[in-house]
Amino acid sequence: MPLARSLARRYDRSSEPYEDLLQVAALGLLKAMDRFDAERGPSFASFAIPTILGEMRRYFRDSGWSLHVPRGDKERALKVRDAQEAFANEHGHAPTVNQLAQYLELEDEQVIDALLAIQAYESLSLDAPRPGAEDEAITYGDSVGEDDARYELIELDATVVAVLDQIPSRERQILRMRFVDGLTQTQIAVRVGVSQMQVSRLLRRSLDQLRELTRDADEPR
Amino acid sequence: MAPLPNVRLHLSNRAENVLVVREALTGVAEAIGLGGSDLSDIRTAVTEACNNVVLHAYGGQEGPLEVEVKVAASSLEVVVRDRGVGIAAGTASAGVEPGIGLPVIEALAHSVAFVETPGSGGTEVRMAFATGAARGLQAPTRDGFEPPAFAEIDHATTATISIAPTALARAVIPRLLCVLAARAQFSTDRISDSQLVADALVAHAGGSIMGSYLSMAVNVEPRDLELRVGPLIAGRAEGLVHDSDVEGLGRVLEKLADSHGVINAASHDTLTLQLLDRQ
Repeated sequence: MPLARSLARRYDRSSEPYEDLLQVAALGLLKAMDRFDAERGPSFASFAIPTILGEMRRYFRDSGWSLHVPRGDKERALKVRDAQEAFANEHGHAPTVNQLAQYLELEDEQVIDALLAIQAYESLSLDAPRPGAEDEAITYGDSVGEDDARYELIELDATVVAVLDQIPSRERQILRMRFVDGLTQTQIAVRVGVSQMQVSRLLRRSLDQLRELTRDADEPR
Repeated sequence: MAPLPNVRLHLSNRAENVLVVREALTGVAEAIGLGGSDLSDIRTAVTEACNNVVLHAYGGQEGPLEVEVKVAASSLEVVVRDRGVGIAAGTASAGVEPGIGLPVIEALAHSVAFVETPGSGGTEVRMAFATGAARGLQAPTRDGFEPPAFAEIDHATTATISIAPTALARAVIPRLLCVLAARAQFSTDRISDSQLVADALVAHAGGSIMGSYLSMAVNVEPRDLELRVGPLIAGRAEGLVHDSDVEGLGRVLEKLADSHGVINAASHDTLTLQLLDRQ
């Protein structure tokens, strides 16, 4: 059993619950014990390890694990997102990975993977308005008259209109808050009414789009 | 001559650096469309090889952990190298380890070889994994521009990465900066900013790098990340920052970094970027 436990801990631990892996590993151990022939084989461990690992890999394949993001990962990513928001609301600034890990009783690596995974979730609930966000967004829209004037000055430049106007207005607004107003992503998140991770995702995506658009515009046809 | 690796990582053998290697592998898998259980096998086996370097290669001292990844048409080759006493002397003979690590590698890798590191007494673990239908990548060309050694770098706190081609860098570099920014105790705000910096560097470096590798050294201090990007074509370091301009927003690299500078050498430039988290 220590062998099964050790392998369950070692096999890509960040993806599946340890308990599930341990069960599968234990099953593999039983099979190995069943098949092991002490007369012929070398040591039991060198026979059992491939058998146990084979059992764990089959488990992953059978559960369709390779085809999509594991459910556990997605749930964890959403937990990390929510914890990030709760922390930012309480402290007025964003948490570190270690603070999130301690709060959620996860390893740093799991939090990092969640931060990275959340950027991959294109649709789902992440793009939906957050509870109460509608009101905040309106409040924000009403209160930025001054800023608008400044933006309009910038927009007098025709090329700006050409490139920036090709992306959705919410993304445009977020880009300006970050790069023109110098707000932090957490400050932007509060004003727009989405999570900071959503802001992060929108910034990455829209900067990518802008680079594409600029490249297309620069290239001779 | 054997093809050059697509990724080279020079790290210290601190335990925290195993995560850098794992995330690099995840980025590679993402770039070539390699899925779940194959990636898990690779990550697990390579982690074992790295842990051996962490625990046994230097007899409790600190030393280099070097990792190379080559992506071929239907296989992925990973080399984990140390320059210490290595696996052979460190574990197999002493019998201090229960010895699960090596059987795990043997069970998960398509093939594995242990050889002495050329020019030092250390060990290289060369692992090959079958990647089936995943995309292959072109090997970097031998153009005389080997990844730089970044002289005077303290490898204990600095991670050095060289990567080619750009499509691979796009998937790997932002991941690595995320890990290193987390280690620098950055808030999630600044971690994301670090990824934006990585995106911008990868997007615009193509015309500025010497040779085929995009290379950078990242020094991690509390709330402080320092990036050195190079070697860049002489005169191109400042140009790279210029190129990150998005009309109406300004130069993205300049806005995200707290400061940047250029180190001029006779034949090339190095761009330095510093990111702080002042919260």
